[in-house]
Amino acid sequence: MKFVRIIEGYDHLWAVKETDKATDELTQLFRDWTNGEYLFDFFMENMEDLKEYFHIERIDEAVNDTFEDADVLQELVLEFPYTENLDELFTPLAMSDTVNRELSREKARNWERNRHASWLRIYAIRLEPNVYVVTGGAIKLTPTMQDREHTMIQLEKLNRLKNYLKANGVFDRDSFVELTNED
Amino acid sequence: MKINMASKAIDFLESHKSETPSQFMEDVKWRKENESWLRWSRQLATTLMGYMQEHKMKRADLAHKLNVSPQYVSRLLSGTENLSFKSIANIEEKLGISCITICPA
Repeated sequence: MKFVRIIEGYDHLWAVKETDKATDELTQLFRDWTNGEYLFDFFMENMEDLKEYFHIERIDEAVNDTFEDADVLQELVLEFPYTENLDELFTPLAMSDTVNRELSREKARNWERNRHASWLRIYAIRLEPNVYVVTGGAIKLTPTMQDREHTMIQLEKLNRLKNYLKANGVFDRDSFVELTNED
Repeated sequence: MKINMASKAIDFLESHKSETPSQFMEDVKWRKENESWLRWSRQLATTLMGYMQEHKMKRADLAHKLNVSPQYVSRLLSGTENLSFKSIANIEEKLGISCITICPA
């Protein structure tokens, strides 16, 4: 597993770059979310969820909303690393991540969307305050990530990176305590 | 202490950095530079999607109706195709719809 820095000169935002993939996870996310053909296929496959959870029946409306939302989310991603306030963009994924934010699983979304809640999510692991590694993202139409395969895959990617970082000693409580004691 | 830990995390990311840099900022630059015409291309794409849904058409059906290749339909649906007025007029004529509003009243 490799990593890329998203904005040169800034250490806060990184993304996973799998060796067998052409591009990193964040770049690919926004390529998908700004590609009408990708979105058309996605919403055709997930039309029932769109109707049930968002009461949207027209595919052109769903794709338009995604285009708009991706543009807003892109601006948020551009803005926050410069302000060193990435902790304001990302929020813990689950209660367990809130209780213990060591290598916590986090999500970013646009919270100010009109008409309906945003369905776009960026997922990341928080290494330290204001230091995040993006593992992927999703168009989340259902209440939980476990509800659908495409969101379940994203959950597994989060867990995989968390375990990888732990295994490599990037953050663990013992070393933190040890270093603290040295002071 | 926090600073040490942050450095440790960033040191780890640095030491596992991909040789291929992120293209995110390049993509953003392209999207922003082309924003003004991309909104028309997106408008055309979503109009076609609505038409396909309404008429229960697949890509191949639309390609047949427009007398173009399925690959061309894919490009139209992407919302990133820079089309000529002639191409847009051709689509509108064949489908009997209005695809984009360039100068809204």
